[in-house]
Amino acid sequence: MKRGEIAVLAGASGSGKTTLLRSINGLIPHIYPGEYTGRVVVDGLVAQETPTYELAKKIGFLFQNPENQIFMFTVERDVAFGLENLGVPRPEIVRRVDESLKLLGIEGLRNRSPSELSDGQKQRVAIAGALAMGPELLVLDEPTSLLDPRTADGVVALVERLNSELGLSVLLVEHRLELVAPIADQLVILSGGKVWKSGPPAEVLSSEGLHEVGLSPPTVVEVQRRLREAGKWPHGIGLTVDAFCSEAKEIWR
Amino acid sequence: MAVIELRDVAFRQPNGVVALDGVSLDIDKGEVIAIVGGNGAGKTTLLKHLNGLLKPSSGTVRVFGKDTREQSVAELSRRVGLVFQNSDHQLFSETAEAEVLFGLRNFGFSEDEAAKRTDEVFRYFGLEHLRKRAPLTLSGGEKKRLCIAAVTAWNPDVLVLDEPTVGQDYPSKLRILETIRRLMEAEKTVIVVSHDLEFLWPLWARTVVMIAGKVVRDGDPEEVYSDSDLLESAGLRQPQLVTISKMLGRSPSFRNVSDAVHWLERREP
Amino acid sequence: MAHLLAEGLRFRHEDTPIHRLDPRVKLLISIALFSISLLTTDLYQLAIAFCAIAVPAALAKSLRRLGKVMSVSLTFAAFIFVINLVFSYGLYRSATLTLRFMAIVASTSLFFVTTSPDELEYVMRWFRLPRDFVFAFVTAVRFVPVLMLDLTQIIDAQKSRGLEMDKGGPAKRLRNLIPVLIPLIVNALVRSGELAEAMESRGYGAVKNPTSLYALHLKSRDYAALLVTVAVWAGVLLCFRVV
Repeated sequence: MKRGEIAVLAGASGSGKTTLLRSINGLIPHIYPGEYTGRVVVDGLVAQETPTYELAKKIGFLFQNPENQIFMFTVERDVAFGLENLGVPRPEIVRRVDESLKLLGIEGLRNRSPSELSDGQKQRVAIAGALAMGPELLVLDEPTSLLDPRTADGVVALVERLNSELGLSVLLVEHRLELVAPIADQLVILSGGKVWKSGPPAEVLSSEGLHEVGLSPPTVVEVQRRLREAGKWPHGIGLTVDAFCSEAKEIWR
Repeated sequence: MAVIELRDVAFRQPNGVVALDGVSLDIDKGEVIAIVGGNGAGKTTLLKHLNGLLKPSSGTVRVFGKDTREQSVAELSRRVGLVFQNSDHQLFSETAEAEVLFGLRNFGFSEDEAAKRTDEVFRYFGLEHLRKRAPLTLSGGEKKRLCIAAVTAWNPDVLVLDEPTVGQDYPSKLRILETIRRLMEAEKTVIVVSHDLEFLWPLWARTVVMIAGKVVRDGDPEEVYSDSDLLESAGLRQPQLVTISKMLGRSPSFRNVSDAVHWLERREP
Repeated sequence: MAHLLAEGLRFRHEDTPIHRLDPRVKLLISIALFSISLLTTDLYQLAIAFCAIAVPAALAKSLRRLGKVMSVSLTFAAFIFVINLVFSYGLYRSATLTLRFMAIVASTSLFFVTTSPDELEYVMRWFRLPRDFVFAFVTAVRFVPVLMLDLTQIIDAQKSRGLEMDKGGPAKRLRNLIPVLIPLIVNALVRSGELAEAMESRGYGAVKNPTSLYALHLKSRDYAALLVTVAVWAGVLLCFRVV
């Protein structure tokens, strides 16, 4: 991945996405032993040889279920959690917590208890906690799978904003390709523990055989692919309905 | 004949929140109906009224003509089978088979009858290869289908599925869709609650939209899904085929990708 | 009954002079009340000590809550009274032991009712308890409401499969717990696995002595409360001719 890039990792269950993510932040091999070949390097650090807490300074990792990553009784204390673990001096903790809360727009939730929050709010608290540690790379493991459409859209928009405003590199694992394809610089598809295909999303999503590796391209992409196959679509493949329809209206109106 | 009748049902949670605010709904035998809305719209609360887990604060819920207040959850569940969102809240047996037998035994089926139905249900849903597996070792999609099979085993007249596709990948969603079609073939009354309209579109089912504890629309899928404003205020995402149809001025909306491709292929520039 | 107990011991956020005190001071107040009841065997003194608990309780607007805890402990209290009587310790002795028990319960719950789990954590850290132990405690308390929610959802799911938990003899009822306990335990285990991953990803264990967002500071009202507590404590002990 290049610095400042948004990469999306997709694949059916069992394709190895979870394993790959955990190799990036060091949970594999430090917590989960096994046979390990090859190398993962994150910003110069070799994951295999670096303790997880060192990697934690570079990589903000967000899990699927926000509930299970909020430890403390109040939002602000949870956002401070990572900084406390790293032994950051108190004034610095206060500053970074304030900054994170502001960035995520959740200052009003500072003293609230996590059990009172909605799913979307919990997700933001978790992201704030990760950001407070000042990572270079944000890794999100299926962040929208338990959320309803409106909340999911909010999270994707947030991730894009963090990438464009802060220059954060983002690695996102997602099933719902229609949501994230439009913001991705790179799409990587895993199957059976290997990379099946990678490249710009429009290209990857309009490849043959996606269904066989357990993925479904967004409907609008599928329509364009088949039109192109029939020789009726001379344009590039648009990733959103808007993009497709504006091109289509040019041809057919 | 209405199998389920809700009249002005309101439900107030102990903490004061009004989860249902005057819902009236009739569901006929053999109908397939989708109840949609964002999280917090009251969908799950509504479902729990159908088998008596919750009793309304005001209004009535009638299942097969009888008020749910006069029946126990076990009695109602015999005829209205609920499949909850989280399969991990149900599975506990050593084998998938035992999981199916659990419900059958609770409802008083004889050992012979129970064994017979277990065979049937594994076969009907194509799950024989999972029969002796430990439920907790199954994949998310397999667990979901096992739960649906377990609930179908005691042959309830009504099947209610709460968010069957949350967290599932594409192949799994296809199989769940197939499972729902099998239920429809068996002429069950099927109620699917979801916020995934893309998934529901091929079912072509009567659609009820809920916002903040109220039913704001109840009608045919073409009409409901085309109403972008409605979907927006309900916090739902319009299926892409519908959006494409609208933008290209085509009505009724494309039913599937092939539909759309063929229509577009035949257009003159 | 268990419900009353949970209600009675749970921290509720109120703004009272007692709640605003530093948790270490609150602990001291409870210990003071507690110790008086342990140090005397005179029935009338114990009665006074017991009633004295009502003073800080009233200041903390927690009389009703304490009342709930007391009503639950009445059963145990009665039990203690009867047992002692049976083993011929006499009426007087039995009464003192019962009253002592109730005073201990009241003074301990006063602490828990006025101190948030947050503050409890700070006290534990101040006592230099091992980090892992404190963290385990915090996480456990934080997840109690979550596990309770899991439990209700599991019960709902199993009831919907015909499980009737309030029917049958004791053996059957016990067996009926299995479909509820197994999912609960399994889910809790899976949850703790996810928590462990999250902890590692947030740098847990990076440093031997983690810093903290807040620190406990004694303010003037804390010093005032300390003074009053120690003075009253000493006074009472002297009056009771104990010291």
